[in-house]
Amino acid sequence: MVKSGLFEGYDTGSFYDEMFSAPGQPRPHYAKLFQKLAAMAPGQFEERRRLADLSFLIQGITFTVYSDGRGTERLFPFDLIPRILPQSEWERIDRGLSQRVVALNLFLQDVYGKQSIFKDRQIPRWLVYSCPNFRREVIGVEVSRGIYTHICGIDLVRDSKSGDFYVLEDNVRTPSGISYVLENRLVMTRTLPDAFQACEVLPVNHYPAELARILRSLSPRGEDGAQIVLLTPGIHNSAYFEHSFLAQQMGIQLVEGRDLIVDGGIVYTKTIRGLKRVDVIYRRVDDEFLDPLTFRADSILGVPGLMGAYRAGNVALANAVGNGVADDKAIYSFVPTFIRYYLGEEPILKTVPTYLCANPGDLSYVLEHLAELVVKAVGESGGYGMLMGPAADRAKIEEFRERIRANPRNYIAQHVVPLSRVPSYDPSTGSVAGRHVDLRPYCLYDGEKVTIVPGGLTRVALQHDSMVVNSSQGGGSKDTWVLRGEG
Amino acid sequence: MLSRIAESLFWLARYIERAEDTARILDVNYHMMLEQSQQSYRLRWEPLVIMAGEEKLFHEFYSEANAENVFEFLAFRQDNPSSIVQCISKARENARTIRDRISREMWEDINGLYYTVTRFRPEDEIAAGPHRFCDLVKFGAHRFHGVTDATMPHDEGWEFLRVGWSIERAEMSARLVDVQYYNLLDALPSVGAPDNHQWMAVLRSVGAYEAYHRQYHSAIEPEKVAEMLILHPRHPRSIRFSTSEVQAGLRAISGSPAGSYANEAERLAGRVVERLRYDRVDEIFKQGLHGYLNDLLRMCGAIGDDIARTYFYYAVVA
Repeated sequence: MVKSGLFEGYDTGSFYDEMFSAPGQPRPHYAKLFQKLAAMAPGQFEERRRLADLSFLIQGITFTVYSDGRGTERLFPFDLIPRILPQSEWERIDRGLSQRVVALNLFLQDVYGKQSIFKDRQIPRWLVYSCPNFRREVIGVEVSRGIYTHICGIDLVRDSKSGDFYVLEDNVRTPSGISYVLENRLVMTRTLPDAFQACEVLPVNHYPAELARILRSLSPRGEDGAQIVLLTPGIHNSAYFEHSFLAQQMGIQLVEGRDLIVDGGIVYTKTIRGLKRVDVIYRRVDDEFLDPLTFRADSILGVPGLMGAYRAGNVALANAVGNGVADDKAIYSFVPTFIRYYLGEEPILKTVPTYLCANPGDLSYVLEHLAELVVKAVGESGGYGMLMGPAADRAKIEEFRERIRANPRNYIAQHVVPLSRVPSYDPSTGSVAGRHVDLRPYCLYDGEKVTIVPGGLTRVALQHDSMVVNSSQGGGSKDTWVLRGEG
Repeated sequence: MLSRIAESLFWLARYIERAEDTARILDVNYHMMLEQSQQSYRLRWEPLVIMAGEEKLFHEFYSEANAENVFEFLAFRQDNPSSIVQCISKARENARTIRDRISREMWEDINGLYYTVTRFRPEDEIAAGPHRFCDLVKFGAHRFHGVTDATMPHDEGWEFLRVGWSIERAEMSARLVDVQYYNLLDALPSVGAPDNHQWMAVLRSVGAYEAYHRQYHSAIEPEKVAEMLILHPRHPRSIRFSTSEVQAGLRAISGSPAGSYANEAERLAGRVVERLRYDRVDEIFKQGLHGYLNDLLRMCGAIGDDIARTYFYYAVVA
């Protein structure tokens, strides 16, 4: 056995450990990193960690949490020990995600178009129409090049029992986090250059260029001279850093709703030299805030008349309006059906068995087994509106029981997937311990092929025993390395 | 360029300048007063608060103006919108909303300055005196100018920054001369002789003490100090120089040639610059310094309003 330094006394526990196949036994694709890290003195590691933190702070790579009602800027905690995947495993994930993205896009085309899936009785119409994020207003709207799901973030987890990856949820509205993938990588190469160099890691930094290419291709007036903008809710949005980062990386204008105006069905930016036409909007504002004339009248984030311009085909939006129907957590259990129905293929990636509280049979099972299940509100994301049965107290369980009874359609339940773990540094003890992780790869779809930057965002639950990885719930992140070859 | 971005650049520069000017005035006055007798105590601290334009707010918090509370008020108080810490916070907020349009170095520099000043503990600094803090702010502002100059394209965005800091500087110099001059005139009969220390402090607070001596080779006289701060063609903090910078920036943005103007802001800036070019200090004193400076301040305010009307605001088109 190798001398283990930083990993002295590390306990892999009863979970799948991404780094070790047995105590002190690194998996082949982690062997080089293990040698580098184990040779490091604990003080040295701590010093590198501080440098990384300082670098995030000075660059202002922060997100905003709203627990105290006024919003506080926080660092998204970054753990220096990367999550590593060998190339063969990644390629399978890549194929599975591509298949899924194409199927989700076909489903959205169908739901807002011909609706053949209802006629062929693959999914009940009422279930789709009752999604909180189903948008009647865009039925029959022809979207540019037939693309709805330009950008998807699909959350994967590795089940500790089988060691297999499962899709946990789809995010096809305005998924965020890619900026952390890119910034984590940059900080990582500066902080642990020797370890990084020892492993052959596939690059990720082509993401902004690929996204910019897709956005340009959507322009209704052709690509020459097209004005592309990124619409942000503004500085108080938790993902504001990402919006400005992506705009800068793509060389496009970052705008707020108040920078835009619609006149005669055309969208313009207000510039110091007058109005300038906008062709494509990468919007990071939710559907219901986009246009106060169509959706929420009290929205000050949107642009009055934007939906009119969109319907007329004068401006393209990415992602399309109405996508929330595809990442509804009740619809989730039908995605394998979509893959078989639209593509005639078997799903490559597994999905977690799901109880739909809308079904009376499922409902009674869920209500009887709340303490064992994870319950999720169908239209929420970011770890909000969720019950972790095994970790919850009685009061919380009873609160959810009432909520589910009051509105069964709004809830689904799943058995807890015991997430795999990656060794992570705990600054309070100065030692390394196993922490649960998920993986969110970012998929870009140009209408023909899906491009996924190798890896994605590995989110880590930094609290001991916690399985909730969302940044809003105390999670952090890790750099994700996909190796060239098997390591 | 988006109107909102132009506006943020303009205010980013103004807030940095305001923080620097306040730091300069605080630092110099504080140290000068250490050397002074206690007799006209109140008289000496009050003007600093008036210069910042916040005397009403000040008296809501404090019953009298002294070294400690003026320092606390002008440097640290969160509820004073003109305090140094608030100015730097607002400069950073503006920078944050346009961080995709300024250089990464500029953003990191101002973000770093923000974390530095917000980490100072006011009680420690008040005990130690303002020099360390003020020096840090002053050099923070200088560094920001240097980083901006060296890393940002000198395009129209840069011109909005230049217009912003120049107009703020012109206003601050006008207020400085006005308040100090009247304060001293009031004091003259009781003190009996011109208070040179006070005028030395004025010169030092705009970094013009050495330049004054090179220029005039004479003792400090109020008229000459005023001439230097109002009419000097080259000193970077004179009103004439600062308003010329405003004019040059506005012309660069609109592209209008010398001798003409493209909008109301340029017309007013041109008028101010020409007036300062041909006025003499003895005439200014004859017609009344206070009225003259107030006129300049009003014009600067109008230029600011017209810049906003021309470039920042869109009337709602029906």
